[in-house]
Amino acid sequence: MDSTSISELPRPAAETSRLVHSYSVRICHWINVVACAYLLVSGVHILLDFPELYWGNTGYRGYQAAFRLADWGLSWDQAGALGDRRWGRNYHFTFAWVFLINGLVYVGWNLYSRHFRDQMLPARGELTGAHVRTELRDHFRWRSLRHASSGTYGTLQKTSYLILIFVFVPLMILTGIAQSPGFTAAMPALLDLFGGRQSARTLHTIGTVLLVLFVVAHVLEVAAAGFFSKVRSMITGK
Amino acid sequence: MIERISRRKWLASVPALGGLLLTGCSRETFVPPRVRGGLIGAADVLTMSTNRLLLSGQPLAREYARSEIADPFPTWNQTNPRNDEYQRHASEGFRNYRLPITGLVQRPRELSLDEIKSLPSRTQITAHVCEQGWSAIGEWTGAPLQRVLEAAGGVTPAARYVVIETFDRWYESYDLFEVEHPQTILAYGLNRQDLPRGNGAPLRLRVERQCGYKNLKFLRSIQVVDSVAAFGRGTGGINSDFGFHWFAGV
Repeated sequence: MDSTSISELPRPAAETSRLVHSYSVRICHWINVVACAYLLVSGVHILLDFPELYWGNTGYRGYQAAFRLADWGLSWDQAGALGDRRWGRNYHFTFAWVFLINGLVYVGWNLYSRHFRDQMLPARGELTGAHVRTELRDHFRWRSLRHASSGTYGTLQKTSYLILIFVFVPLMILTGIAQSPGFTAAMPALLDLFGGRQSARTLHTIGTVLLVLFVVAHVLEVAAAGFFSKVRSMITGK
Repeated sequence: MIERISRRKWLASVPALGGLLLTGCSRETFVPPRVRGGLIGAADVLTMSTNRLLLSGQPLAREYARSEIADPFPTWNQTNPRNDEYQRHASEGFRNYRLPITGLVQRPRELSLDEIKSLPSRTQITAHVCEQGWSAIGEWTGAPLQRVLEAAGGVTPAARYVVIETFDRWYESYDLFEVEHPQTILAYGLNRQDLPRGNGAPLRLRVERQCGYKNLKFLRSIQVVDSVAAFGRGTGGINSDFGFHWFAGV
């Protein structure tokens, strides 16, 4: 009985035009959140169990370390007591697969739907120094919110997402695989690429810190653009 | 009706034949002896089968230059089993040590250390990769496990796994694909010396494509079986009995 009155309500044009985030982006985003959370926590468990990092092929307790958690106030035994590597290894390798498959689905789906080309590749005029400078200045004065509300990505946003997806994430996967005795037997070039198994482990850890910083920045941006409306649009698409 | 069954049989044989052609080896397993439940089990299968496909040509694991060797090689976990039999052998310089090879081999037998040393040997400078995170390079000398099994007449057609038990009450199993790899050796030498007690004397297994915990030390016996269900909790190894991966290629 109320159906007519609802349809008579004036509707904002944007709502009917198109979704801010497609199904693929939304589904993959939230699977990715769960996978990354598990990867981070399980990775920390694995690191705590052997809280030193080295460069090269060799590294063991007593060998010259590049980083020792003990220098930062957490002794080897204290770290070991906090880290559960059995849990860590089981969940790290499980969610590595979830992360990888989800990522491939995301990239494949959005290449097919032309999301990358249409919405994430910076347009020619966007990559000029003047444009980037203006956007940077606006950004730090919190003026970039108009991008956020308009449903398109800013140049900085596009560039950082593309670098993250096509450079940084593949490097994280490869530094992970370069630590595996099985996979490096099949692909020994990975050992050369990163300068050895221990170097790969150290780079994987540095990459984790950078990824955490990226996520912190990402969440702060979302908060600045209106946390609830942005999270809602990543769930409902609108 | 008969036609349909034979066609179904034929269809079923396609992936098996494909696997055989692809790998050139029918002894390969793609899943652990007991697959765990849930997402973790699915990931185990993905990890192992991906690895086995990538390694189907049995390439060698990276071998390093002598300059990269860690000497002394680090010792870790058990360095001296508190086992009367082991201590007696060690005090006798392992002169009376015998390695029994039993189960699904043509001629079950025992081998002395000298007999194992008289088999064709292999020396490899490889990285020991501990699942905890450390790695070190050593020069290992030993007899390929495949040659050791051939000394017992070779495995019978029913054989699927090799189960190795140790003096410190560990055990692990390996499929024949892993056993047949040229770098899978029973090492009696490390860095051109006799294998030190701290590193697993008199014999330790080297499986270079898997993590440290599959590279058992202080070997006590070798059994060739068609099923690992009767050992420990039935998962195929002491580490997997305690919830670690059976396939430790990662």
